[in-house]
Amino acid sequence: MTKLFTDVAAVPDPRGEIVGLWARRAVLTIFAAIAVLGLLDVFGQGTTRTAASTPAAVVRVSAPAAVRGGLFFQSRVDIRARRAIAHPRLVLDEGWIEGMQVNSIEPSPVGEASRDGRLVLSYDGLKAGERLVVWLEFEVNPTNTGHRSYGLELDDADTRIAAIDRRITIFP
Amino acid sequence: MDLVVRTIFVFFLILVITRAVGRRELSSMEPFDLILLVVIGDLVQQGVTQSDYSLTGATMVIVTVAVLTVLTAWLSFRFRRLRPVLEGDPVILVADGRILERNLRRQRMTVEELGAEARLAQIGSLDDVRYAVLETSGKVSFVTASS
Repeated sequence: MTKLFTDVAAVPDPRGEIVGLWARRAVLTIFAAIAVLGLLDVFGQGTTRTAASTPAAVVRVSAPAAVRGGLFFQSRVDIRARRAIAHPRLVLDEGWIEGMQVNSIEPSPVGEASRDGRLVLSYDGLKAGERLVVWLEFEVNPTNTGHRSYGLELDDADTRIAAIDRRITIFP
Repeated sequence: MDLVVRTIFVFFLILVITRAVGRRELSSMEPFDLILLVVIGDLVQQGVTQSDYSLTGATMVIVTVAVLTVLTAWLSFRFRRLRPVLEGDPVILVADGRILERNLRRQRMTVEELGAEARLAQIGSLDDVRYAVLETSGKVSFVTASS
């Protein structure tokens, strides 16, 4: 028998064999857990819904709670006025825009402004019972990571009507 | 969720394609096959990850493929009946020195190709071959009359 074969242990070290086997099983279990967590939308980008109801309006937001770099996603804001709102304004937290490519906002606001670092989108007045749905389409910048506030506020001019508190997680 | 689902779908799609195409075609890599393989890889990547540039997405895809690979290997090991579906069965091409033309035809293989495989195995003549088996890997193994 040549040296190539004599160097190979006839019987592997039992302890090393067992440790190696269990280490491999542990790694595969972690892999399976990651895949299952992915199926459960932990790493994005399943849509979650949040709502706020006040005597003046009902506001619903549908958007992912977690996204990943490069992904396209949609957020939808659904407003139903319970009383007339003369100057509806959506005040978006910084997480809506920071590190995001804004592909489109439909319907386009009649005006945009900044309020204390937050984006303000102004729309035409709503009558009681009227509904306004705003679709916002984004793409995540690949370098954008972390947790950000993704809340919004519905104002009538400068008076707060309803507020929704949300956060968004951007995975690297 | 969609990323893992797309990965699972593509994994089984590739499994079905490789089983349907046949082992001979996949084991013999001609330049055309190599280019086709790269093109398929690119198309698969677009279908699975789409616009996802994230490390998280890449990790999920790789991990899912690893789990599915181990799972199919385990299923094949554990359940004998699944083995022909997942891996295929070895096919005898030469038995007792007699070339089985029917099996060669089924594998879209000519006697000349069998002869080429024999030459690669350092066998001078097909008359010296007692058994030749097309293994599940797509390679042909030979047992000569002298062995």
